[in-house]
Amino acid sequence: MPDRPDASELIEAVIEFLAGEVLPTADDQRLKFRTLVAMNALGIASRELASGSEPQSLERLTDMAARIRAGESADLPALKEHVAAKLRISNPAYLEKYE
Amino acid sequence: MREALEAKLGPISSVHLVAGGASKEAWAVDLADGTELLVRRASVGVIHKDTLTLEQEFRVLQAAVDAGVAAPRPVQYLGDVGGHEAFAMERVGGETIGRRIVRDPPAALPVQLAEQLARIHSIEPLDFLPRGNAIARFYAELDSVGEPHPAIEYGLVWVRDRLAEPEATTFCHGDFRVGNFAVDTDGLVSVLDWEFAHVGDPVGDVAWPIVRAWRFGADERRLGGLGEVEPYLERYNELTGRGITLDELDVWEVFGNVKWAIGCLTQCRRHLNGQDRSVEYAVLGRMAAEMEYELLDLIAHA
Repeated sequence: MPDRPDASELIEAVIEFLAGEVLPTADDQRLKFRTLVAMNALGIASRELASGSEPQSLERLTDMAARIRAGESADLPALKEHVAAKLRISNPAYLEKYE
Repeated sequence: MREALEAKLGPISSVHLVAGGASKEAWAVDLADGTELLVRRASVGVIHKDTLTLEQEFRVLQAAVDAGVAAPRPVQYLGDVGGHEAFAMERVGGETIGRRIVRDPPAALPVQLAEQLARIHSIEPLDFLPRGNAIARFYAELDSVGEPHPAIEYGLVWVRDRLAEPEATTFCHGDFRVGNFAVDTDGLVSVLDWEFAHVGDPVGDVAWPIVRAWRFGADERRLGGLGEVEPYLERYNELTGRGITLDELDVWEVFGNVKWAIGCLTQCRRHLNGQDRSVEYAVLGRMAAEMEYELLDLIAHA
């Protein structure tokens, strides 16, 4: 158990700093854009830390990829769920458009 | 920078950096006589292997302008400017930010894009342009990433079963999509960003602006968030005499998602391997999943 703030709380503090102090004072478009990108990156890291689920193992994914390339049939719904799990961390809003 | 440029271009009244891509920079340069230029300069020693050198890009722009394409007029190849290769071109006006363009897209834009693309595909292929089998190239790029992506593999198999032998004889822009067009209220001003020009199958260019990532949120308008695909495709076919079908575009739309998913992964590696450290490149690695989901969804509904 680390002393507080833990990793998630530290990330949250940096997101708030970027949103509250850097973004409003950045007058350069490029700096603004990159600040938003940085906030997005921290959001991904934060959701990854908060998600309890284990990602699929490298071994299993490597095997699946090789089988598909070799022409074996694949389970499309299972593949979609595998990608959906990644998106729930990287960009949950993106998935909403498919509902 | 100013001194290095003045040595080549003469007296300058102002110069400032407008875009600092990790591998290329763009400088707005005003000459003392009032001429407004944009100077493209390499920002790292080694350019990504699949993009053109600036000297080649300069020659591509010249060929495009000669063919009557609305592209920035190349002004002068500058050679070495402060240790990096550069050239100067006309600075064109208009909006280039995708999100702003799709908010209220000019009605004429889809047909104008078809007309420009028809002209682009009439350009005589230059001898230095990359060419070859697109599917083989993207397998090689995916392998260079060194990370398993079953969804991309699934898309590549689906595409390779449907595109036995893509045509590889046409001059292609290589990145023809919203974000690389300068647009004003009347429509298209200029087609920009020619660094991915290559010799390949023209359907690749026709389908590229349809890919969801280039709709900038305006998903209800399939052609780049601008409008319907049909008038664009009809005008293109009419001008080129090609008979590209909507079914073909469906296949190339999946391929487009495959290509951009792999593009995200390879660009992210430039950050991870230390070649071009950048938070923008870093997050691209996690964006690839968006194209993976889209391509699986397109295949599921095909």
